Amino acid sequence: MQISTRTTSDIHIVAITGSLDSTTSPEAQKSLDSVLASAKKVVLDFSRLDYISSAGLRILLGAAKQLRASGGTLGLFGLNQSVREVFEISGFSSILSVYQSEAEALGAM
Amino acid sequence: MRHEFRMSVGAHPGGVGELSAAFAEFAEAHALPAEVRRSVNVALDELLANALSHGRMGLDPCSVTVEVELDRERVTVTVTDDGTPFDPFGLDAPDTTLAVEERPLGGLGIHLVGQLMDQVNYQRREGHNVVTLVKQLANG
Repeated sequence: MQISTRTTSDIHIVAITGSLDSTTSPEAQKSLDSVLASAKKVVLDFSRLDYISSAGLRILLGAAKQLRASGGTLGLFGLNQSVREVFEISGFSSILSVYQSEAEALGAM
Repeated sequence: MRHEFRMSVGAHPGGVGELSAAFAEFAEAHALPAEVRRSVNVALDELLANALSHGRMGLDPCSVTVEVELDRERVTVTVTDDGTPFDPFGLDAPDTTLAVEERPLGGLGIHLVGQLMDQVNYQRREGHNVVTLVKQLANG
């Protein structure tokens, strides 16, 4: 799992490559925490995310709650079929803002 | 054509990751469709993280063995551990309709396993927890 972050105006785009599971989530949590410490608008780029398990969902939920509490926004794009299915089953597709493309996600921030 | 994979891991940090990586290699070597491989990877992560880190094994070190059988029609995964009796499918399903603020953290893992797989089964057999998962292949 690798995480890279870039910034477009005041939007932080965090790209996660590999998997978000019980093994990789603690490290992902740390990276995300450091972004959330200063960012109000966060977009997660999942176009290179292979799969996500409940350990990864837990991080997303934590980030969503934190941003919502501080008046920030969270968007996601680039979900593959497997990640989309996990989002559907868990109900995350209705509580998180999932966009079709990076442009659409950035436009909604 | 029939392929088999078998690996055991102990309750040490990194054990689940080693197994996930080894399974992914097996899946790739035998051209398992990516969607199926990812579903199995998620299911394994849920079950193994559960078995190895929930502290339900008490004093005895828990070890988990994963066996995968792959044929033209389906992939069958058997997860066996020597921990205390525990039926992961005996829990209530979580409420997946709650809003962000109301969602408890966690509780989703086993629900995901049940939904991603076509069949799930639990048995207590000879002092072991035995979980069997079946995923049909699309063109099987």
